[in-house]
Amino acid sequence: MSEKSKNSGFRTPKGYFEHFTDDLLDKMSKETSGLPKKDGLKVPEGYFDNLDKKILKKVTEKESKVIRLKSYKKYFLAAASVAAILILVLSIQERGQSSFTFDDLARTDIENYLEENELGLSSYELAEVLLTEELEVNDILNSELDDENIIDYLEDNIDDIDELNLEIDE
Amino acid sequence: MIAEKTLIENLKQKDTQAKAFEVLINTYKERLYWHIRRIVLDHNDTDDVLQNTFIKVFRNIDGFKGNSKLYSWMYRIATNEALSFLKAKSRKLGVSNDELQERMANNLQADVYFEGDEIQLQLQKAIALLPEKQKLVFNMKYFEELKYEEISEILETSVGGLKATYHLAVKKIEASLKQEQ
Repeated sequence: MSEKSKNSGFRTPKGYFEHFTDDLLDKMSKETSGLPKKDGLKVPEGYFDNLDKKILKKVTEKESKVIRLKSYKKYFLAAASVAAILILVLSIQERGQSSFTFDDLARTDIENYLEENELGLSSYELAEVLLTEELEVNDILNSELDDENIIDYLEDNIDDIDELNLEIDE
Repeated sequence: MIAEKTLIENLKQKDTQAKAFEVLINTYKERLYWHIRRIVLDHNDTDDVLQNTFIKVFRNIDGFKGNSKLYSWMYRIATNEALSFLKAKSRKLGVSNDELQERMANNLQADVYFEGDEIQLQLQKAIALLPEKQKLVFNMKYFEELKYEEISEILETSVGGLKATYHLAVKKIEASLKQEQ
């Protein structure tokens, strides 16, 4: 780009326009006049002292009793559905209303209920009670996924695909 | 401090893992604590999120390929953990995320681990009103004093975009503070 204006004979320093945006943004981002530099947050005395031991203990405890799941979210709905079915079946049996079945409930109603009501279960608690071997991914999805899509997704999103020990039919 | 590459190698090997993890925690605990604390504000919540962050780091270290620096990967995990924590909390309380932010800032007044004066309290309330991205960028630049290049790697945004975001955040905070005065 020419550094000389067409008619007026004015010139700009070399690289002026190239650095203009950066210089301006730098200048703008440095303006913090009148704001306090400290945030006033403090930490309990000695909090950091044994934090490493505390976390290491937690890691070893959890490692020994929990099956590692890369992603538990997709199982959440299924686990919650199982819990909801059990509660419904039990309450229906108790009231003796055999004409009303779980199938009468719209799927969206169940989903809304689960969305709006916290079950209070942590991922570790879910992992312990959920029988994942009986679950199919398509059981908890609205649209069917084919194997190719799943493998593509896993390759892009899982850190180490070999760790999953997938059995792929070539 | 031992070199990052050695630390990562030690973290991936079973026999050196525990010691290396201890080093990792001790190296990053304070930085990550303050990063999380400024997002969730409450000390006990921060403690939970910080521990979960380190547990996640430990569990996923085998998958860490070194495409980014270790600290930015950890900051990213901490940020995601803190934001997810707030989302779960707002769901649990049945309030919107904005409402939760406002409540959190208001609760500071009674928080034993907040020793700020009136202006610092107003500052926290002003930060609470910012959109999520502006809040993160403001805290990371202003309080944590991270370089734009570092923030860029953590948040995966361009440096130019971050500068503009920071400028916007500062202007909004100044305007909120002026309104309060």
